[in-house]
Amino acid sequence: MTEMQKKETPPVPPAASEEDRFARLIEEHQRQVYSLALRLIGNAAAADDITQETFIAAWKHLKGFRGDSSLKTWLLRIAANKVRSYWRWKKLRSWVGLDQREEDGEGLSLNEVLPDDPAGRPEQAALAADMERRVQAAINRLPPRQREVAVLRAQELSMAEIAVTLGMAEGTVKAHWFEARKKLAGSLGEYL
Amino acid sequence: MKDEEKEKELLSLLAVRRPEAFWLRQKNAITRAAYEKNAVSRAWLLAPAAAAAAVLVMFLARAPQQAPAPETLVSTAFLENLDLLDDMDVLEAVPENEL
Repeated sequence: MTEMQKKETPPVPPAASEEDRFARLIEEHQRQVYSLALRLIGNAAAADDITQETFIAAWKHLKGFRGDSSLKTWLLRIAANKVRSYWRWKKLRSWVGLDQREEDGEGLSLNEVLPDDPAGRPEQAALAADMERRVQAAINRLPPRQREVAVLRAQELSMAEIAVTLGMAEGTVKAHWFEARKKLAGSLGEYL
Repeated sequence: MKDEEKEKELLSLLAVRRPEAFWLRQKNAITRAAYEKNAVSRAWLLAPAAAAAAVLVMFLARAPQQAPAPETLVSTAFLENLDLLDDMDVLEAVPENEL
């Protein structure tokens, strides 16, 4: 077991109920799963749905988890597959004329990007919302594979872990990250 | 600035930040949805057992009514219709050995 795995899966007390264990699994990984879904889709409501589906699917199949990869990598792979299914579904819907093209970051309400501290909200909220939109737009401009690599990199995954998650060679991941990084730095230079 | 630091800064920019209340609400919604789904699937697991029970109840409700022996039926018809002995339908319904 790697150091990372040891860190992210603290032992669950044997007395913990199913509910407690599920709640703990969500608490530990929801930020990464939701971030991945949001950054890959750019729609808060859809990202919420994918996060929910990911955890329900993971909980259902947890007994089948062989532990070949870390729990985090496994969860993110489930989420990434669900995002791919979402895009296929969207493509199909737009092909039959049921979908309108959505704006970048659609579904992100100001309340969702507001900080916990209510002090200085108006300015902070405006800045945070503006930055959020620009970051999302920069990610949306990346080709799909570069986008996936960049978003997984932002979840603190190593190149090897990204390769496992996306089923790619590590060298390919590095090449995608190199390109994505260059483009993102160009688009978001003002914040760096 | 070092390359690693630049990367770190870029990755921090890509991170999604939400207030704690958002994560708590999301966790509760996922937990609730999971148990609702579980309850529905458990209900479906019980469906075959419920159907089997319904069939059994129907079978048991019908079972006590014992059908009368064919001879009794014929004899009763014979006695009730003595005055219709000339009616060929009745005569035909009576087995030969009872006539």
